[in-house]
Amino acid sequence: MTENDFNRRDFLKVLGWGGAAVALSGCGNTSIQDGQETVTSYVTLPSFVVPSISNYFNSTCAQCDAGCNIMGRVREGRVLKAEGNPNSPINRGRMCGLGQSGVQAHYNPDRVREPLLRTGDKGETITWDKALGLINEKLNGTKGAEIAFITGGMSGHVQALLGNYMDALGSKNHFSYEAISPAVLRAANKKAYGMSMPRYRIDKAKVVVSFGADFLGAWVSPVHFSQQYAQFRKGTRPEGRGVLVQIEPKMTLTGANADRWIAVRPGTEGVLALGLINALGKAGMSIPADVAAVSNEYTAERTSKETDVSAEQIEKLAALLKERTPSLVLAGSAAEGYAHGSQNAAAIALLNRVLGNVGKTVEASASVPFPQIAPTVGNRSSLIALNDGLAAGKYKVVFSYGVNPVFSAPASMKFKDNFAKADFKVAFAHYMDETALAADLILPLDSAMEDWATVVPEYMAAPEEAGSNTYAQMSFRQPMMEKVFPDTRGVGDILLALLKQRKADEYKPFDDFYSYLRSAVLKNKVALGGKAGDDDEVFWNETLSKGIVPLKGIAGSVSAKASAAGLKLPVAADADPSYPLRLIPAVSASIRDGRNANEPWLQESPDPLTTIVWDSWVEINPKTAAKLGIVEGDIVEIASRSGSIKTQAYLFPGIHPDAVSVPVGYGHEAMGRYARGVGANVFGMLDAVYDKETGELALNETSVKISKTGQRVIIVKEEGPVGGSQAGKPKIAVQVSADKVDLSKEV
Amino acid sequence: MKCFLRSLTLLVGLFFYASSHAADALPTLTTPDDVGPVIEQPIEFPHFRHAGDAKDGGMQINCMYCHTYARRSMVAGIPPIQKCIGCHQSIESVRDKPRIQKLFEYWDAKKAIPWKKVHDLPDFVRFNHERHIQRFYFQQDRPYQEVCGYCHGNVKAMTVAQRQKPITMGWCASCHQKDHLVSANSSKTGHGPNDCFTCHK
Repeated sequence: MTENDFNRRDFLKVLGWGGAAVALSGCGNTSIQDGQETVTSYVTLPSFVVPSISNYFNSTCAQCDAGCNIMGRVREGRVLKAEGNPNSPINRGRMCGLGQSGVQAHYNPDRVREPLLRTGDKGETITWDKALGLINEKLNGTKGAEIAFITGGMSGHVQALLGNYMDALGSKNHFSYEAISPAVLRAANKKAYGMSMPRYRIDKAKVVVSFGADFLGAWVSPVHFSQQYAQFRKGTRPEGRGVLVQIEPKMTLTGANADRWIAVRPGTEGVLALGLINALGKAGMSIPADVAAVSNEYTAERTSKETDVSAEQIEKLAALLKERTPSLVLAGSAAEGYAHGSQNAAAIALLNRVLGNVGKTVEASASVPFPQIAPTVGNRSSLIALNDGLAAGKYKVVFSYGVNPVFSAPASMKFKDNFAKADFKVAFAHYMDETALAADLILPLDSAMEDWATVVPEYMAAPEEAGSNTYAQMSFRQPMMEKVFPDTRGVGDILLALLKQRKADEYKPFDDFYSYLRSAVLKNKVALGGKAGDDDEVFWNETLSKGIVPLKGIAGSVSAKASAAGLKLPVAADADPSYPLRLIPAVSASIRDGRNANEPWLQESPDPLTTIVWDSWVEINPKTAAKLGIVEGDIVEIASRSGSIKTQAYLFPGIHPDAVSVPVGYGHEAMGRYARGVGANVFGMLDAVYDKETGELALNETSVKISKTGQRVIIVKEEGPVGGSQAGKPKIAVQVSADKVDLSKEV
Repeated sequence: MKCFLRSLTLLVGLFFYASSHAADALPTLTTPDDVGPVIEQPIEFPHFRHAGDAKDGGMQINCMYCHTYARRSMVAGIPPIQKCIGCHQSIESVRDKPRIQKLFEYWDAKKAIPWKKVHDLPDFVRFNHERHIQRFYFQQDRPYQEVCGYCHGNVKAMTVAQRQKPITMGWCASCHQKDHLVSANSSKTGHGPNDCFTCHK
């Protein structure tokens, strides 16, 4: 080697070692920063606070309507993380990703910070005094019948205050709206079991057959059901390991966890349920005469032809249900989002009656003994009523709280235009979302981690030891820290201030919502589990520290009176050749109806099935895609009779070839930096078809056609190639096609 | 070979250049050996008056009377003003001293005092006061002024605190390599943890 051979490689080696040496000695060199940052001590400090050690405060999650009990970890006056409250019968110490993101709703930089008033196209910041004065001024001389409130599902003392305020105004127009609500389920349950939300006992069932109820993802109370599901899957359980069969046209998270996932033709879930009853009868189970009269028509051949599920599958499933009792049959949104959704749900409920599950895995729940705080649940038909009223010019002043109908109403309703017809629109807003943008006065709200409230969940879970059907609960929501933005207010405080304008004398004793809540709770000390002689302060602090108030509820009862009378399922019409595919708007476990879309953790947590992040997508069956010449990443236009969106195509074998699916909740035009412009809003393009019995928007009744736009993108997703990495391994196990698996052997 | 020697010279040279800046002398206890800058604080707090020896006019208050979290928490904690007032509201003799007046101004306004950090470690370092106090003060039963003084020097002689030690990783490690008695009643020794993860998490 010559001197000149000191080549690049050697140089790099030396540089590498040298770099390491510099790094090592650098450790001795890092100087600390003297006197640059401040360490601000407290003025006063409660003795339980030790800097750097966390305190936990019990509260209630506000991310969805399940009302899980949580504990906020608070350190140095900041809430850092939420954990599940282990004493909660709802979530039993667990939480979901959606709940975890609650801190991002709290610290969100896009929160509304001051009251805003619209003048023409401009908005200006105003004071609270002026804002509340303005409401008073607008309401004076407005008749009660001309004032409307649109809210999400509500409960507890905020609801009681709202009720009082509406009474004071003489208004009866409270529209309770949820964009994605189990309204059809409630109605069907009421008919079939005598109560709209009975307790489901997945943990007691040997077989669960779910018709599109995504109970592990987004259905009713998913964290609670996930806990039950964990019990259900335990082989050590006296009943043995449970078998889950999921029947739905688009695979959900629950479908992905099922032992058997059956892709049914969209809308024929009720037919399949009746076909199953018929097959059960054939297998020797006694079917009540009134049910048999309806189900007899649904022979295996006919059912198979209509539902696209093979006769063999139906027979096997019936055998499974007959062999293993108790079972549990659930009806979810995938079965209910049709013009005949209620009929589907009724047919499915019949299965529970025939199988004798009512009373065993469908249990009675209790309701809270105070009707003022009992939950008011929302649905879509109330939005229609409000919209009609607005269109007719019936409402002059409209208050909106906790909902975003401008975003989630189908375009065909023209809600935005009708909303504009009201003279004065007040939005209680957390973000400048689409509805807040359309309002005249925007009142900034405290986050759920800054505010006081009581919450009564709609789905009333009970602890195991309670054992009876009289357990009901009220949960507390309490501030975990000072306000992030000083000029926001709690909804209770705003309502109280508004009430003082009307009934000054009655509400004079209450400085704020806190004192109202405290006095209301102390007044009912005995009913809330205290003793008459208990010290008020001690009782209040103990109650708050627990966060959960068990109540002696009003016992309900379930009856197996599901009737087959009047049950008529339509024969599936042939698809319109110009709109050949069925659109299934999917509800993802994290984004849900879109109210939390501005929380970046939710945008970046991959969808459990497709692993896509930060965008919408359309799921297309590979067979359908092949026919249309679509490959993954093609930007396609999905057009219905009522509108169209463009989004990226994702080929997904877990969807029926006749259907395509797009998640809802994306495609905000406003709301904040993380939500705006991400994905496409599928709510807008839904056809205005309603369930015939409940008037609920039939989410799955929209027919679409798909065309390529010529653009193609690389989908941003977590997953690798199908089958995962195969490096150094022989081929993965050969897949057995679904119909070749002998289900009876799995049992 | 020539190439190898050349590389080696370069490597060794680089190493010495870099490590010449490292603190290599082992520190003696509580003596100042890398004095930091004087830092101006909102109130010129006289540590010597509170913690100093009686012969110097001090009151010999235990460090942990005010920095009460040191034995329970990662941080020693700056006391809440409430704590200062707790004593000073009944010490009339110094009430009109300018520093005390300033203290009461903050208290009356219910405003926190923006103290400047004197010992500010980089954010990637997690130093835990509790572990050190438990080990040396409670288990070994050493005098508190010595235990605190290992890192903070002779604070009882200062007005506002001033950094006395380098507080660098090399300096921390130099003490962690020493053998320390496990407890006051034992002749067994052990040294401090040497895992990266102990401080860098």
